[in-house]
Amino acid sequence: MNPNTRRALEFILDNLVWFMLLFVLLVFSIFVPNYFQPGIFANIIEASSVLGVMSIGLALVIIAGHMDLSVESVAALSAMAVGIVFCSAGIGMGVQLTPDWLGVPVSLIIALAVGSAIGAFNGLLIVKLKMNAFIVTLASYIWVRGVVLALSGGRSAQDLAPAIRWFGVQRLLGLPLTAWIAILCFVVFSLIMAKSRFGRHLIIIGGNQNAAFRAGIKVDRILITSFVLAGAIAALAGWLLAIRTSGATANLGMGLLFNAFAAVVIGGVSLKGGVGALPGVYAGVLLLSAINTAINLMGLPATSTQVIHGLLVLAAVLLDTLKLSIRQKLA
Amino acid sequence: MTSFAPLLVLDDIRKNYGAIEALKSISFTIGKGEVVALLGDNGAGKSTLVKIIAGGLEPTSGRMTFDGRDFLARSPSEAKAAGIETVYQDLSLATNVDVVANFFMGRELTRKVLGMSVLDEKAMEAVVAKALASAGTKIPSLRTKVEHLSGGQRQAIELNRFVHWGGKLVLLDEPFAALGVEQTRRGLEMIRAVANQGIGVVIITHIMQQAFQVADRIVVIRQGVVAGDVATKDTSPDAVVNMITGETLAAAGAAG
Repeated sequence: MNPNTRRALEFILDNLVWFMLLFVLLVFSIFVPNYFQPGIFANIIEASSVLGVMSIGLALVIIAGHMDLSVESVAALSAMAVGIVFCSAGIGMGVQLTPDWLGVPVSLIIALAVGSAIGAFNGLLIVKLKMNAFIVTLASYIWVRGVVLALSGGRSAQDLAPAIRWFGVQRLLGLPLTAWIAILCFVVFSLIMAKSRFGRHLIIIGGNQNAAFRAGIKVDRILITSFVLAGAIAALAGWLLAIRTSGATANLGMGLLFNAFAAVVIGGVSLKGGVGALPGVYAGVLLLSAINTAINLMGLPATSTQVIHGLLVLAAVLLDTLKLSIRQKLA
Repeated sequence: MTSFAPLLVLDDIRKNYGAIEALKSISFTIGKGEVVALLGDNGAGKSTLVKIIAGGLEPTSGRMTFDGRDFLARSPSEAKAAGIETVYQDLSLATNVDVVANFFMGRELTRKVLGMSVLDEKAMEAVVAKALASAGTKIPSLRTKVEHLSGGQRQAIELNRFVHWGGKLVLLDEPFAALGVEQTRRGLEMIRAVANQGIGVVIITHIMQQAFQVADRIVVIRQGVVAGDVATKDTSPDAVVNMITGETLAAAGAAG
């Protein structure tokens, strides 16, 4: 095989999810009435912002060879904390700050503090006490949701302070600021993974933790940092979720975890660790969102979304195996 | 008994795993620029000893002096900082990243962009290209992920990596297990070249011929003790085999 064909093939394999996304958008645009219009595409991006942000944190931990099941509950707790402080109806305390905009940094700090703390808790148990990441974060998934229920008493907080809501209302180039925040997160973390020593070390740890340790990389510190980041990023997703829904309910974000998993796997991140890049994850998120939108437009029952997502994950894993065997032939 | 200035002195190193004594008092010296072959049967404790020097394990008791100072590495990064490089028998490569990333693992070069440290891929690639070329190792593309490379190519990367980083002492745990005849010959030359720079080298091997080709001194470990410590020119393969199997201890000569 000549080098150019090989390079072209490698390029396609590396960016397969983007090609899938284009293909799906093309097919829907042709066959689904009213699909092809800017408003729909804006909607796809907008609807994927919360899931997208959450997927970033999950992807970081999975690339490092671990697992974080707690991201969904962490997002819910952060949203609830922000809701309780800054909502004026329901269980909200309606805290007023002067000037108004002070609510933005304060609510962000509250959310990020909650998320980082739970992330640090997970990370310490997993790295220092060498507990299994699956079990530790499964426990967190359960107890953190429990805290949300306990805090809210099953009730909800409504009417988020307008200064914070502003991010969900204000638009730039047709997209709300919340969507831009998600895009910015993807750009920043993609750069960190591709260009920084931290990102490089995280990928190496995911590939061969022992080699990384022997090479003098501070494996423990980097792994704990990745869990703290996953928690903080999940909290940011929760903050966006609170803005999107203008408050928080006890079952906020239920089921997001599995969509985040689907997006990460479809995006080309291997659950074995060490493989995958964030731009692909964003394409995975957009792909899920594009399919949801098509289902809505076609008037199919919303329940079919779940079936399709499940099949999509299976297809993604199958594709991953296929990609691997093609790559082995290329080598 | 050596003409080399001492680099690493091991004094009564012991390592217990529960009731099992893996090392029961190991004492010997490695000189600057000296190549020491560490021989011994499977399970004699060679790898344990290497891990203790390299910071992967802590000894139960004993003292080490490195470069004139008390030395104890609690982690590989401490050993590295002190100037000890290790090549393990199960290779320490991350197969999911490319040749350059492996070569610079843990020591990535960065440059400042807008005040932030960014990986300097070009500079790193240039260094790797030069290092591999001067060692005569051919790898099609330095941007190939290591998983696509052959066993020999992988081992060559490890060897080139230690030659490049050097330090003061190099530990090689069965470095030629996956290499062909020609690559092994080149590897042995590399070891000589490294030693000639004044770097101490410890090489663990099962192959007697390699030990006699490259080593200044042969240290035999048997059942956790030093069963022999002799200059290569003063001994013969048969005598060394006897030390390994334990038929003669007396033939090993005075320790140290």
